[in-house]
Amino acid sequence: MKCYLCALDKKDTEAVAICIVCGMGVCMDHLVREELDVWEGGYPFPSRKLKRKLPRILCKPCYAAYHEG
Amino acid sequence: MSLMKRSIAEVVGTFMLVYFGAGSAAITLMISKGSSPPNPFNIGIGSLGGLGDWFAIGMAFAIAIAASIYTLGRISGAHLNPAVTIALWATKRFPTRDVVPYILAQLVGASLASFLFAASVGMDAVTVGGLGATAPFPGIGYWQAVLAEAIGTFLLMLTIMGIAVDERAPPGFAGLIIGLVVGGIITTTGNIAGSSLNPARTFGPYLGDYVLAGNSLWQFFPIYIIGPIAGAVIAAFLYDYLSGE
Repeated sequence: MKCYLCALDKKDTEAVAICIVCGMGVCMDHLVREELDVWEGGYPFPSRKLKRKLPRILCKPCYAAYHEG
Repeated sequence: MSLMKRSIAEVVGTFMLVYFGAGSAAITLMISKGSSPPNPFNIGIGSLGGLGDWFAIGMAFAIAIAASIYTLGRISGAHLNPAVTIALWATKRFPTRDVVPYILAQLVGASLASFLFAASVGMDAVTVGGLGATAPFPGIGYWQAVLAEAIGTFLLMLTIMGIAVDERAPPGFAGLIIGLVVGGIITTTGNIAGSSLNPARTFGPYLGDYVLAGNSLWQFFPIYIIGPIAGAVIAAFLYDYLSGE
């Protein structure tokens, strides 16, 4: 799979990931990898943050849209 | 989450429960002051709207409980009730070291609510409304009151087990359903022994009445310790037995 965003710029770059929101293939230059906190439990027990975080990869347009809203 | 933050959440949640819930009972007595209750079983709550008076009080509790669970449930678990804390501990779901701090926080929250309710309304809230304190109604014996409190809390705890503790429960409904269940229990059994279902909810008004007006109801306090704790613990164990493989 090729990077969709590079292809728009007429570049031929291998994709290294897929955006979890829009599904496009992206290269290292066009992705954002975040680590999200994961919480367990809730009423009637206190929630607790797990030690391990949940990795998530978004393309840059989806990342920008997500953080704008 | 630190124990301090969780304890503060319990103080706030129990405060809301007692200020709005018990407060609504005190206001009902103040509104009905001077009316002529039709019989000795009616002490004023019910003289204006019959069972509707109890329904209104039940809804005040329901809304306060639902709000507390949805806002504080993730922080402390929003037990708001020593009987719930003890039942979760008895079934090994809650750590022993946190039991006493939680109960103390609930008693502090309930007491603060009663004193601030009196400060908000004035001394009529104490002398007429009794700060919404619970006691057996005329004709109700001590152990009848214990039984009514135990059965009421049994239904409350059984609901908590089914809608919140059980991982198979549908998410998101706990606050609404538990609040409504408390409202329903109060509507139907309020005129027996006040339908406290909660030692902290009774402790706050008792302390406020005693300190502010010298009115002692402490001889009834064991009703609201024995009944709710027995009902909650039995419900928790029974649910575990029924839902187990």
